[in-house]
Amino acid sequence: MNEELNNPPGDAPIRVDYDRVDVADIMAQVRARIAARPEPTSDAEASGPQPVLPAGQPDSPAPDGGEGRSRAKRLLLKLMKPVTPLIKLAILPVNEELVRTVRVLDHANKQLDYLTAKFDRDIHRVESQLTERLGRIDTQLAITKENVKLLHALSHNLVVELTKLKIEHEALRNKVRILEKDFETLGRREGALEKRPRR
Amino acid sequence: MKVAFVVQRYGLEINGGAELHCRWVAEHLRKYFEVEVLTTRALDYVTWRNHYPEGLTTVNGVPVRRFPVKRPRHPERFGRVQEFVFHHEHGEEDELRWLEEEGPLAPALIEYIRDHRNDYDFFIFFSYRYYHSYWGVKAVPEKSLLVPTAERDPVTNLRIFHDLFRQPRALVYNSPEERAMINALSRNESVPGDVVGVGTEAPAAAAPERFRSRHGIEGDYLVYLGRIDENKGCRQLFDHFLRFKRETGSPVRLALVGTTILRIPAHPDLLYLGFLGEEDKFDGLAGAAALVMPSFYESLSMVTLEAWAMRRPVLANAQCEVLKGQCLRSNGGLFYESYEEFKEALGLLLADPRLREILGANGRRYFETHYTWETIENKYLALLNSLRGT
Repeated sequence: MNEELNNPPGDAPIRVDYDRVDVADIMAQVRARIAARPEPTSDAEASGPQPVLPAGQPDSPAPDGGEGRSRAKRLLLKLMKPVTPLIKLAILPVNEELVRTVRVLDHANKQLDYLTAKFDRDIHRVESQLTERLGRIDTQLAITKENVKLLHALSHNLVVELTKLKIEHEALRNKVRILEKDFETLGRREGALEKRPRR
Repeated sequence: MKVAFVVQRYGLEINGGAELHCRWVAEHLRKYFEVEVLTTRALDYVTWRNHYPEGLTTVNGVPVRRFPVKRPRHPERFGRVQEFVFHHEHGEEDELRWLEEEGPLAPALIEYIRDHRNDYDFFIFFSYRYYHSYWGVKAVPEKSLLVPTAERDPVTNLRIFHDLFRQPRALVYNSPEERAMINALSRNESVPGDVVGVGTEAPAAAAPERFRSRHGIEGDYLVYLGRIDENKGCRQLFDHFLRFKRETGSPVRLALVGTTILRIPAHPDLLYLGFLGEEDKFDGLAGAAALVMPSFYESLSMVTLEAWAMRRPVLANAQCEVLKGQCLRSNGGLFYESYEEFKEALGLLLADPRLREILGANGRRYFETHYTWETIENKYLALLNSLRGT
């Protein structure tokens, strides 16, 4: 069964088959309806470009009868001016608007209260976290300082030990050189001694 | 058969996303085979800081083995790395650095999977974008199933994941749109897989009047369920909704349910109700004219399924292909891409209770065909048995 729905004047109707509702079809109709609408134009565009009068030329006079009507309108507006607020009060739904505004303000107030409380809580939390982190950073810094001192002492000791080792190395090398010469001399002596009994 | 579910976080406190999806599937499948959850000690998804105790515990009858997060996430550093890999020319090393910063960095979990691969028949990994899935699937590709829960966001463009989607033994998709997207990105059509999704447990009956009287709501109202966040399209929803009210003078109200990280405009017809219990939530859904889903990125919207389970129509953001696809397949909701479409679709829904009723009934039928737990369980069983047989 087909039915037409939600059809503002000037818009293409949207038909819904209630026995077999097809979302793709409904959305296609919605898109077609939107596409069929004229592009929105501003008031200035709608009224077209205003003719530019040459400088010094006075405005055109109103057509016959128009001047009388506008004069009457001006007079009527002048007479009505003192009671205009009352007329506005009677015509516009001021009370409704007031209630609506109060509700908006009330809602905004509640949100403000909620956000203020949340903000306070967050600030408190952040503060305590920061304090805790600062404490941890201080401890870390002290440890790092101690480590640097220890590293400094260690490198100093290493330099001393390396110097000592170098000196010892030199002494050992000299000893080896002497021992090599001794060995050479003893070799020669051994050769000389071996020759003697043969003689 | 023994199956391990591997997920970034796990616990009763976590009530959304892939973690809840994983918990529900694990709890439903434990009646068919031995199930164990392998996860981290994290609770907070921003920092992954260790919260739960390490070791073996039990959650709703499911054994859960937790591993420590080696280093919490540093949001600022992560933001910098992410900005670089999303917007600048980069290499695989940068993407791996991004993955490490993304976390949760739990090498002990991967080590355990590698060492105990023979103790389990299958490992089901949830959420492709985290450390545990990437390295976990690489550790045991022949025994792994991946539930990507992928959305069309910039992370899907990272090249390391294109390779990942080709590696597991099978993939379990949430929707045909997600499958098409991953196939197109990684050309992994040869990897077996099925569109499964997740079930939901809706109450048999709800009491909308109880919700109305508890929150003082009269007349037609729309409901939004979920995190109130700009990333979820809420700012656009507020703009569209308030403009709709200005232009049409409609008395409809919008009830917002969930935790908020976005400033809600002060307006008497925007009702922020905070986080609600399950009973209150389903009461609210049952009484709503429609559920609004303004999200741009979804791999499967659980709240949409819940709305259909309660016979309520959905008004969804068509810029999210998954939501649009679900509405078209189910004939259970209308959708919008622009304000004009939002105005027309919402106008149609509000003006015609009969259309709402039929869309809701279509949604319920779709839910019963594809998303009851029996259907979900059978799909998992069929997939696991087919893999076991090969």
